[in-house]
Amino acid sequence: MAMAMMRSGIQTALRRGGRNIAPTAPSKRGFASSSSSHHDDAYETAKWEKITYLGIATCTIFAIYTLSKGHPHFDEPPAYSYMHIRNKEFPWGMFCLSLILLINFWALNRVLLFD
Amino acid sequence: MIESQRHYYHLVDPSPWPISGSLGALATTVGGVMYMHPFQGGATLLSLGFIFILYTMFVWWRDVLRESTLEGHHTKVVQLGPRYGSIPFIVSEVMFLFALFWASSHSSLAPTVEIGGIWPPKGIWVLDPREIPFLNTPIPPSSGAAVTWAHHAILAGKEKRAVYALVATVSLALVSTAFQGMEYYQAPSTISDSIYGSTFSLATGFHGFHVIIGTLFSIICGIRQYLGHLTKEHHVGFEAAAWYWHFVDVVRLFLFVSIYWWGGI
Repeated sequence: MAMAMMRSGIQTALRRGGRNIAPTAPSKRGFASSSSSHHDDAYETAKWEKITYLGIATCTIFAIYTLSKGHPHFDEPPAYSYMHIRNKEFPWGMFCLSLILLINFWALNRVLLFD
Repeated sequence: MIESQRHYYHLVDPSPWPISGSLGALATTVGGVMYMHPFQGGATLLSLGFIFILYTMFVWWRDVLRESTLEGHHTKVVQLGPRYGSIPFIVSEVMFLFALFWASSHSSLAPTVEIGGIWPPKGIWVLDPREIPFLNTPIPPSSGAAVTWAHHAILAGKEKRAVYALVATVSLALVSTAFQGMEYYQAPSTISDSIYGSTFSLATGFHGFHVIIGTLFSIICGIRQYLGHLTKEHHVGFEAAAWYWHFVDVVRLFLFVSIYWWGGI
């Protein structure tokens, strides 16, 4: 009995599927002025609008989740030779400025510690 | 096409902008080299050249918009020119970014002894790919969905929806750029920290630069759509912007998988 019901259900579904497919005309993309293409574009406009809203909602939720966790803090790495490479002065002279600040800081430390 | 014309082609009028753009480019490059070496007046020449290029871009594209939108010179045949021009332009951009991925892969697949024989190099702290990098990855594709929405809205003749869609496109792009800035601010390494910092910063930085260019492109398209320049039969500029934007989206996916995720663990 159960098998018969299942077989009948599958046959009905197949018939219904076939009926749905048969009368549908193949979709055509012609010139923009034709009414069918206008209808397609209206449908696609609505579809992509929904996809955009879904994307915005997903990104918003994910942003709230990610930003609420805070950001990690990293330890200062050892001074390897391939790290923090500054071979020449920046065109705007920041290297020079940094060097002057470093020397001043070192001199201040010397004064505070030893004098 | 104007009535008196017997062909579909646009024979352009003589224009001063090609030579002015070339002179601006010359001044920019020479000024740039002078600025980076100890020559006096380098910064001035660089600034003047840059201003000259920006001015040329503005007036040249203004003329093209007048010729296409107001004077009707851009027939279907003429529209093929910028369409075919956009394709090699984007292909060249793909090759440019491919070179950056190549540099990163070259250094990471066989790390040298100088950096500890491991990737990321010894002493380099990297960003957790599950944090802001992962958050920033679905934003450009969402923006790409918005530009597709705008395209269909233009084809369907829904002018207002197209403007809204372009506002969504630009907003998402700005959010993406803001997160990129936040990521750089929090990044534990810089461009000067080993080959990892160099390749990471070049790849992500140039992608960010492309996002900014694509944002400007979309803003211009949004303004033109608002002014009624784009019609369902004629919107080549918008299509070029959409192609460019999809290219930027796809690069972001490769960037996340290759640089942040695979290259950061």
